[in-house]
Amino acid sequence: MRSIRIWFNKKDSAKYISHLDLTRCLIRAFRRTDIPLWYTEGFNPHPHLVFGLPLPLGVEGMRETLDIRLNDDSYPNEKVLEQLNLATVPGIDFIEIAEPVLKPLAVVFGDYTVSIPNVNNADEFIEKIKRALNGGDITIEKKTKKGEFKQINVCEHISDVSFYADDTTVMFNFRLPAGNDFTVNPVLFCKSLFSKIDSSDLLHRIVRNRLLTKDLEEFR
Amino acid sequence: MLKDKIEKILPLVQKPARYTGGELNSVVKNKKNTDIRFAFCFPDTYEIGMSHLGMKILYSLINSRENYWCERVFAPDVDMEEVMRENDIPLFALESRDALADFDVVGFTIQYELCYTNILNMLNLAKIPLKSYERGDSLDIPIIIAGGPCVCNPEPLADFIDAFQIGEGEEMMLEFLDLLNECKKNHTSRKEFLKQASQIKGIYVPSLYNVEYNSDGTIKKVTPIEGAPEKVDKRVVADLDNIFYPDKFVVPFVEVVHDRVVHEIFRGCIRGCRFCQAGFWYRPIREKNVDTISKQSRKLACTTGYDELSLCSLSSSDYTKITELLEVLLGWATPQKINIALPSLRIDNFSDELKEKLALVRRSGLTFAAEAGTQRMRDVINKNITESEILTTCRKAFVGGWTAVKLYFMIGLPTETDEDVIGINELSQKVVEEFYSNPDKPKGKGVSVSAGVSSFVPKPCTPFQWEPQDTVDELKRKQQLLLATCTSKKITFRFHNVNLTYLEGIFARGDRRLGKVIETAYNKGCTFDSWDDKFNFDAWMEAFDECNSDKAFYANRRRDYDEILPWDHINSGIKKSFLINENEKAKAAQTTPHCRQNCAACGSNSLNGGKCHALNKNLV
Repeated sequence: MRSIRIWFNKKDSAKYISHLDLTRCLIRAFRRTDIPLWYTEGFNPHPHLVFGLPLPLGVEGMRETLDIRLNDDSYPNEKVLEQLNLATVPGIDFIEIAEPVLKPLAVVFGDYTVSIPNVNNADEFIEKIKRALNGGDITIEKKTKKGEFKQINVCEHISDVSFYADDTTVMFNFRLPAGNDFTVNPVLFCKSLFSKIDSSDLLHRIVRNRLLTKDLEEFR
Repeated sequence: MLKDKIEKILPLVQKPARYTGGELNSVVKNKKNTDIRFAFCFPDTYEIGMSHLGMKILYSLINSRENYWCERVFAPDVDMEEVMRENDIPLFALESRDALADFDVVGFTIQYELCYTNILNMLNLAKIPLKSYERGDSLDIPIIIAGGPCVCNPEPLADFIDAFQIGEGEEMMLEFLDLLNECKKNHTSRKEFLKQASQIKGIYVPSLYNVEYNSDGTIKKVTPIEGAPEKVDKRVVADLDNIFYPDKFVVPFVEVVHDRVVHEIFRGCIRGCRFCQAGFWYRPIREKNVDTISKQSRKLACTTGYDELSLCSLSSSDYTKITELLEVLLGWATPQKINIALPSLRIDNFSDELKEKLALVRRSGLTFAAEAGTQRMRDVINKNITESEILTTCRKAFVGGWTAVKLYFMIGLPTETDEDVIGINELSQKVVEEFYSNPDKPKGKGVSVSAGVSSFVPKPCTPFQWEPQDTVDELKRKQQLLLATCTSKKITFRFHNVNLTYLEGIFARGDRRLGKVIETAYNKGCTFDSWDDKFNFDAWMEAFDECNSDKAFYANRRRDYDEILPWDHINSGIKKSFLINENEKAKAAQTTPHCRQNCAACGSNSLNGGKCHALNKNLV
């Protein structure tokens, strides 16, 4: 038995597959291949899947990770990749495979890009967002593990903000805590931010580009 | 643009993956290269609709034609409907996200009576005129069709549906679409198309039948016009081994009710339980070969990645070669870690061999459909199982380690007395006692008997189609009686909402005058009537009153054998004389042996060239 880490992306409509559904969906994808997936040996055998960090519903991911175990140590990684890409569903592609170096608990931050199409005046729009961020008060409500609701000010946690604009599309990059201990949901953040600038029904796309450790190294 | 509008609302709703399409094996075609676009509508939510086998078959069948494109549509959930209406988004199909009005055909499958308002709601959301006569005389507005088991009495929906497909759709569907394709090319009028369609076997065009009534409200005469056939024969597939079966199922992202490979092992039922519509409607018996089933389900397991295969039929253990089938299936399923589920087992015909095989099949809950509490009552409904068979099977299950049993019963059956109702409790009590009389019973564990008690609805195409349904008050009284006689904490009774039963009873045997009531109730906000939390009984009662429609006339009235029934011009193949004979035998509490013991000459094989697999045991 050996463990491998598979990097994949989750784009377009696939962003609406919830984490729980994704697990079943990927297990079925494996079952459509002849990859020798390792099953637990209990009364109810099931494959062992561990994700780097679940994606929030509606967010696309460019470099997500999934760890699995193989029964056959000699089964080549390239073949796993090839088979998976033949069996996958629209919107999910498998990019690379390597041996896991860090444990999923090492994930602490996520880098995101939000793109907003059809903006009339990009400069003005960017200024508005900057002003809102500098205002220092963009709060979201977070449910704690005890089931209570807690107010979180995103401005205290966001970093590495940058902007990019072409004719009609504004792109907005930032870093937020994303890990087992503390996560700021980018969907809630965008919702709160856009309502602050009076554009609450803005069509936008949120992409998680990569996961980082506490030392800001890429998760591998 | 519609697609952007949809994209914008998806993040706002629960489980958006129900509305995105793009599931594995869903079919996307280039609409420029398609002649006929078909929107297959299931008038309930995605989770329920995606579990339906008929939709999977017809979806693949239509898409097997290069120039036809079938897409899926489900009733949007309450939150989705709200944002769709707020944002002026019409009902759209999942594959292309195009509005339904852009399609050539909108087809509904009708599984039960309580979805009628959902059909109206879906048409309204699609901005398609509700009534047939409002749809003009061209083929520009989609043709609205309907099929499924519920159309054995299509009359309550006659105002809204342009054409019904009566019976099994596998052959009829393509013939119907081929005609439409030709008519579209020739710019044939809508009326002329429907007239020609009525000549296809199994197609029923309600607007081509005039119905006259007597002063007492019963039907005087049904007259076909424009050359439509006097009786519409139910369409029957002759050979299940050589008829289209999909090699792929669309695999949903969200968890649906039946999320597995499903394989229908035979159609029809040999038992002839007198209350059961499906048991008569799906006749004659046609079995599928072991090899065909094995080959097709293995292929499906491969293309879907599912880890469960469920065999379906009305009574799985009546499949002639069930043991052999399980052996063949387990041969390849077990190494692939695929479970086999075998629902709908009868308790009286378990061979030891079958039991051995079943031990390898994943064990689920234990459910027995006893249907009635006393032997007399079970004889009336021709449920040919005895109390000792029920108790013996329970004992064996308890010895095998089971501690929970589910039993299904009905109240309100014809000729029922209070004694029969109390008998339900007595039988449940005997099951409890059976558990405690087992010397090897698991220590420290009690038994739980859960009895589901539903209320009987007389259905068309059954020997009970002339019987009055118990009134709501009478059904409530019987429920209370049952509760009052039960003293054991080991037994729990679960009842169905009697108001829902009442409504189901009205529509099951309704005529086309009920269309007005359905529309009125819909306009009062009724949708999802089968959901307890959405069901608005008061609004329905108001609708009946406003339409001066007599509910008791439909639900609680005994019909004479010579009365013209609203569905008499639909030919299920079952002879009326057979149904009358069965009704008389029911009154005398006489049973009829099952079809393999003795053919009762129901007549259903007349629609299948005289063939019925129950007649010849060696046929399969």
